[in-house]
Amino acid sequence: MATEEEGPAAQTGRAVLSLATDVGGAAVLAARLARRMVPPRLDGPELWRNLYRMGVRSLPIVGVTALFTGGIMVIQAGVLIRRFGAEGLLGWGAGFTTLREVGPILIALMFSGRVGANNTAELATMTVTEQIDALETLAIDPLSYLILPRVLSMVVMLFVLTVYGDVLALLGAAFMGDALLGVSTATFWNGLLDAIRVWDLATGLIKSALFGGVIALSSSHYGLSVSGGAPGVGRAVNASVVASATGIFVCDYLATYILQ
Amino acid sequence: MIEVTNVWKRFAAPVLRDVTLRVPQGCLYGLIGPGAAGKSVLLKCLAGLLRPERGSVRVFGEAIESLDEVSLQAVRNRVGMLFQNNALFDHLTVAENIAFPLRRRGVTDEAEIAERVADRLRAVSLPGFEQRLPGGLSGGQKKRVGVARATVTRADVVLYDEPAAGLDPVTSQKIFDLLRREQQEAGATVVMVSSDIDRLLTVTDRVGMMLDGALIFDGTTAEAQGSLHPVVKQFVHGEVDGPL
Repeated sequence: MATEEEGPAAQTGRAVLSLATDVGGAAVLAARLARRMVPPRLDGPELWRNLYRMGVRSLPIVGVTALFTGGIMVIQAGVLIRRFGAEGLLGWGAGFTTLREVGPILIALMFSGRVGANNTAELATMTVTEQIDALETLAIDPLSYLILPRVLSMVVMLFVLTVYGDVLALLGAAFMGDALLGVSTATFWNGLLDAIRVWDLATGLIKSALFGGVIALSSSHYGLSVSGGAPGVGRAVNASVVASATGIFVCDYLATYILQ
Repeated sequence: MIEVTNVWKRFAAPVLRDVTLRVPQGCLYGLIGPGAAGKSVLLKCLAGLLRPERGSVRVFGEAIESLDEVSLQAVRNRVGMLFQNNALFDHLTVAENIAFPLRRRGVTDEAEIAERVADRLRAVSLPGFEQRLPGGLSGGQKKRVGVARATVTRADVVLYDEPAAGLDPVTSQKIFDLLRREQQEAGATVVMVSSDIDRLLTVTDRVGMMLDGALIFDGTTAEAQGSLHPVVKQFVHGEVDGPL
């Protein structure tokens, strides 16, 4: 904790150390989970339970977000589309933006807020109430039983939700294009399918898997490393959401650069 | 059965300082001392949840601080533990919580699991609570479910951390009597940390007292009650005046 006597250099050093501790902690967690993947040592029922509650229960919020995102993109683009009479480009514009960037990013942020924060809160509560210790005394490896199913579920379900969200966002865009700009759905889909490459779709999905990994590792790391009772749980959730969002944007920048 | 030799452990400051302790097989050992004396940390070292920086912790003859994960799990399969916060799994019912250690240790016969869960619930006077969730239980009921879970595998060593914390006097006495009865029936070796000295001393065979991370007394219950060590005497008899 910073003290009044600390100067800017000390505070910067403390922040850098804290960042290194968290990034290092998440990296160590990733390595320990990787060791449990070969051969796979994870709890099957826990995996299915998490796939359901993280994925299926996120469908409504992701669906609503995606539909409105598609519509908003059309509203924003409407002025230019009309001015230049570029109705044929609406499908391409909406598809390119949605599949490569907006879809994966927005759905990851929604997923982080709903699933990542919940994961941190659950794990942190289990940590401060000694439930993680209880698992260990019952000769159960918490990483295999609790963490690995959650991490895999988050990576898989964010990927699946991104596909689902992309489709709904494009449907929303097509509907709004027809309703607001008079661009027929046939024109919209033709523009989309003519110009969009498989790589555009793949880029977004690769990003979604990366984002899933970032959310899973940061939310699990903060949940397991919590200290300080109930206030500590709140701080852990806060830190996890901030770290996940930051990690998503950093990864997005790097992935966009590499996958051009 | 349990041998602790010259154990040191520190976090920000030393919390265990050169602790040496031996708990014979079948003994109910009470660990007492003021807050932050290192009692719970020592208990976690016995369970293999914490590893000492120096010294040795031997359970069933195994130096658990040097065991790998697989060997440590084999030792843990013979150890039961009740945590201060009970550590019941929130998403599982009472029956599922109690059955959890059985299932994880390979018991698959559902009839046997149901019978052993019912037996434990009868022992802790909670029959009919099978389908309740921990969130709907009182503090005393949670504690009793924790005891049921800690004893369901008939472990050879059972560790209790504050089994009566926050309970009323009558429920506390019932819990201590229950733990003593369980220990005698199973012949288990028990280490129990408690701040409820009066009731604890009604059930223990031996007592150890910790202060500032060091074990300052180790003897029979009668010796503890008659000790002339000023700190032990003050703590055991709850005297206001003294070195504490």
